[in-house]
Amino acid sequence: MSHPPSQAPAAEVSPFDAPARWPLALLAGSALGWLVLSSLLALVTAIQLHTPSFLADCSALTHGRAQAARETAFLYGWAGNAGVGLGLWILGRLGGNPLRALNWAVVGTVFWNLGLLAGMVGIATGSMTGFAGLQVPRALQPVLVAAFCAMALPGVLAWAGRKREGTYAAQWYAAAALFLLPWFWTATQAVLLWSPLRGVVQTVAASWHTQSLVSLWLMPLALAAAYFIVPKQTGKLLPGYESAPLAFWTLIVAGGWTFGRHLIGGPFPAWIPTMAVVAQCLLLFHFLVVALNFRQLFAGGSLTLQYLRFGLVAYLLTGLLETITSFRGAAVHTQFTLLVPAREQLALQGALSMFLFGGLVYQFPRIFGRDWTLPTFVSGHHSLYMLGVVISVLSLSWAGLAQDALLNHSQTPFAEILAQLKTPLLLHTAGQFALLAGNLLLLFAFLRSAAASCCREEGAVALRPASSAS
Amino acid sequence: MKNRPLFLLGLFLAVLTSWAGFVLGSHGQLGSLTPFFDEADGQSHPARLPGLAARGQLVYADLGCVACHTQQVRRPGFGNDQARGWGERQSVARDYIFHAQPQLGASRLGPDLMNLAGRNPQAASADDLHRLLYTGSAAHPAFPFLYETREIAGESSRHAVRLTGTTAPKAGSEVVATERAQTLVAYLLNVNTGFEFPEARPLPAKSAASPEATK
Repeated sequence: MSHPPSQAPAAEVSPFDAPARWPLALLAGSALGWLVLSSLLALVTAIQLHTPSFLADCSALTHGRAQAARETAFLYGWAGNAGVGLGLWILGRLGGNPLRALNWAVVGTVFWNLGLLAGMVGIATGSMTGFAGLQVPRALQPVLVAAFCAMALPGVLAWAGRKREGTYAAQWYAAAALFLLPWFWTATQAVLLWSPLRGVVQTVAASWHTQSLVSLWLMPLALAAAYFIVPKQTGKLLPGYESAPLAFWTLIVAGGWTFGRHLIGGPFPAWIPTMAVVAQCLLLFHFLVVALNFRQLFAGGSLTLQYLRFGLVAYLLTGLLETITSFRGAAVHTQFTLLVPAREQLALQGALSMFLFGGLVYQFPRIFGRDWTLPTFVSGHHSLYMLGVVISVLSLSWAGLAQDALLNHSQTPFAEILAQLKTPLLLHTAGQFALLAGNLLLLFAFLRSAAASCCREEGAVALRPASSAS
Repeated sequence: MKNRPLFLLGLFLAVLTSWAGFVLGSHGQLGSLTPFFDEADGQSHPARLPGLAARGQLVYADLGCVACHTQQVRRPGFGNDQARGWGERQSVARDYIFHAQPQLGASRLGPDLMNLAGRNPQAASADDLHRLLYTGSAAHPAFPFLYETREIAGESSRHAVRLTGTTAPKAGSEVVATERAQTLVAYLLNVNTGFEFPEARPLPAKSAASPEATK
């Protein structure tokens, strides 16, 4: 924890990071590719909300399929690749040894992305499983789990073979995320795809899985990035760090229990939503400790810290809103309305993505040994993305509140409800457009910087034989 | 966190208890539900979906209809599902035991699709559904790829969609529902919660009013 609070160490790569450069760049690059694809699909689905006929003739992009494809590209493509890349890097750095078994990570990454690509084709042609959060066609799911195990291997090895006895919060979160996904994903596949349980228990299992994906896999990876970066960038110890284990274990134990807040009032055992209320209240400790640990973020700082600050605010707000809406009295208004996607937007685009962006922006110069070639593009991305998240969360909330009044408290026909929601839904589309534009900027900046670094390296290699010959 | 195996074991146990508690727990509670035999009409409820309808569920799932439609009616007093005519009683787990994959849904951009065929007063007919699916409306996308327009050869097909006005095909041709459209509509007309199971009855408002109490 010794880097000065200023920007990246220019043109120096630690011997730990040099061999991991291209595997990590592959992960980051494919993550950004999926991000752009998912924001393109998000734009399509946003337009379809106010203009249902948009691209409806095209069976591959009918609203249900576009929605499934968007979600898959976002969760598994963008957040999965980016999170794993950051997790491996952090575990390697803090483990005190260069990452081992990186070949496995490369092979895993290739299969993961090919599997997802095949999955997107499957979704577009109608082979999706029909379980939200788990839409990749069934035949591909074991491939993805195997690919993930290969990707995660260097991280688990770095955790198990670490030099120091003491560990950091960043390591716990990253190791937990890499270790847990294969277990619970396999368990879900068993009860949903290979030997399906009967009736509504399937819905329970699918919701449990979706919640675990976010609470036990993606958010821990994002938090690992934050726990790693914040002390390095601010140059100070995290305040209240001794409570970090409490935050960690609360999330790991109770995070997956909260899925019941989506099942209120449905044909499910009543104890499931009740347990969700309990879990949400327990998680308040998690959010409180995270807020304490990261309170230095509010002092401002580099672009990385600005990304993380936005993510932190969104994360805490999500925690608060999820707790409130887990109570039946609030859920009767929010359930089935656009307030659900509004909160999801805040959690996934606001909190999760912002933490991951912060991580990527910080990681890039340190594995490439050079700063971003186009720093204005990166800060442009930051502004556009913030704008997009704020606009789309606010407009969806506006639409959701109006929808609640019309749907749950009157008998207004659905065509009329949609007509009345047109303005906020148009605004939501504008928000999605800003997100897409921002993401394109970041992808372009990444490719330019990586290409520049690649050329320089090739140049160096090309020079060597010439100089030895002379 | 110094003890390495203990850390991983702790993680594993946390997920295992969560999975066992929620997934296996609800399976233990609901997995062995059987149909209810009603002595009054000599039939078991719910009935299995007819073959055509069971195949339609696959079409419903692969088009992602669930993105905008729910198939669950909430209890009277929680939301206004009854006022919208979606069903007299709440949906219960037993309603879904013969659904290969229940499509409960989480968004109501469109109406709930339980009991479409039994609604009072506006029960949907197969013709209405085909027309909506083929032409779409201001609030509903069209699914023209589920239909084919072809020349009428001899007699017109019994699966032809009855269309009028601007959407009607030109004279001499007809719009015919493909097999996928037929199964989808059969499915939509067969998802219902018509029978009142004992567990679906609302709790009596005051126990003093029940017969046991007055005895």
